[in-house]
Amino acid sequence: MPAEHIIKRYDEELDRLNKMIVEMGGLAESQLAAAIDAVVKRDSDLAASVVEGDGRVDQIERDLDTLAIRLLALRQPMARDLREIFVALKIASDLERICDYAANVAKRSIALAQTPPIQPVYALPRMAHLALALVKDVIDAYVERDADKALGVWMRDEELDEMYSSLFREFLTYMMEDPRIIGACTHLLFMAKNIERIGDHATNIAENLYYLVHGTPLDQRRPKGDKSSLEVVSPEGSSGRRAGAP
Amino acid sequence: MNSTSSLAKARPADSQASEAAPRPSLAEMPLAAVRHAAEAAAIRPEPPPPTKVDIRDVSFFYGDAQALKNISLPLRDRRVTAFIGPSGCGKSTLLRVLNRIYELYPNQRATGAVLLDGADILAPGLDLNRLRAKIGMVFQKPTPFPMAIYDNIAFGIRLYEKLPKTELDDRVESALRRAALWDEVKDKLRQSGLGLSGGQQQRLCIARAIAVEPEVLLLDEPASALDPISTQRIEELIAELKADYCIAIVTHNMQQAARSSDYTAFLYLGELIEFDETELIFTHPRVKRTEDYITGRFG
Repeated sequence: MPAEHIIKRYDEELDRLNKMIVEMGGLAESQLAAAIDAVVKRDSDLAASVVEGDGRVDQIERDLDTLAIRLLALRQPMARDLREIFVALKIASDLERICDYAANVAKRSIALAQTPPIQPVYALPRMAHLALALVKDVIDAYVERDADKALGVWMRDEELDEMYSSLFREFLTYMMEDPRIIGACTHLLFMAKNIERIGDHATNIAENLYYLVHGTPLDQRRPKGDKSSLEVVSPEGSSGRRAGAP
Repeated sequence: MNSTSSLAKARPADSQASEAAPRPSLAEMPLAAVRHAAEAAAIRPEPPPPTKVDIRDVSFFYGDAQALKNISLPLRDRRVTAFIGPSGCGKSTLLRVLNRIYELYPNQRATGAVLLDGADILAPGLDLNRLRAKIGMVFQKPTPFPMAIYDNIAFGIRLYEKLPKTELDDRVESALRRAALWDEVKDKLRQSGLGLSGGQQQRLCIARAIAVEPEVLLLDEPASALDPISTQRIEELIAELKADYCIAIVTHNMQQAARSSDYTAFLYLGELIEFDETELIFTHPRVKRTEDYITGRFG
């Protein structure tokens, strides 16, 4: 944070806001990591603790909202200070969503653990680890106020989208080959979608961080790697086909 | 030196050319180029209104002490320009230069040029009464004349024009209406202006200033001695008056500058540090010193 305010309490409050974001970021990372662990190890106790841990994140977000409103009303922030508070509000809501998605992955892993282990499960962690890296890097970028690092996250989300697209096709193929695993695969598909959404929230955070540092929005169109919403699959063909393609 | 134009150049705001060129795909662009493109995309259109008062390279001296150093900036017509800065930064001095009120005092002199519609008001031999009719001023403390409310307004008009009674009445009423004071004083026009509240007195002074139909209004901390309600009335009044006047306001209240001006000039130790659209000054100033001041980090 730049030079100190004449009013010291103001600095303390901004610092507290900052620490709340960092704490939420840390929770988002650990919740997501534990959720993935729960899937791979079929550990329902761990999954249950992730679901339960979500309440803590919600609580911090509510506290942060209260503090931010207080700062806006009482300090009448300007320029960089105003962006700090505005961006903290937005980042907090992205982090809260990331934790929701992590909790949903954990919840589904409990259901998945009731079914016999299936091969496609092992495709999920690679994607999840990329999502985790994006979350971690964007939080680091926030701590360091490093807009270039944020831009890096922003661009790498494309890779996550592509992984999701290919997982989508992979899961469909498994389901077509063996209808008995459709239930389990559907859970996996939703998990993969949740993880893909986590990447989108990480890019939102990156955009907001960019705005915080530079004061101008990052309004370029982001490269999109997820084409699965354009895809149709028929039982006759073994591979996916793009809608509209011959 | 022309700090205004060099600051203006630093803004990417005029670079509309970048809109026309086809954009390369993001993935192909280096990070710095992505950032640059993002900044160029944040273009605000709408050309600024014409310059009414062009302050050019103005310096000001109290005896040997230099209070203003080569100040250059435009005051746009039908817009409000706020001068902000810590005490002693020269903002009130700059305002005093604009209608040469400093000439009432010995050993004070200004150099440079202040062009009002292209004519230099600092030029010697200028009729100061005519000048002050064109450029009205309102001070921090309300300064009604010790006479009737009606005469406070009519006094200035009578100095410049000989009008029949009915026309004078109309002018007085119109000035009081425009200053949002008419409804409060219409039944006591013959009572002394000193009997009004502080906020009313200040609006009376604004009415007096606009009664002589000036082109520029200078407001030196017009609301700093007023309560919040009166302050908001003055700010609302400023917002209405800017439809017809070029207005410059000096204020210590940053929120007031942010609320009521279109352009803001930040002065420090007699220098113009930054001049830009108010919205940019208060959300995204270019100069660190400006940001430190408006965010309360000034040590």
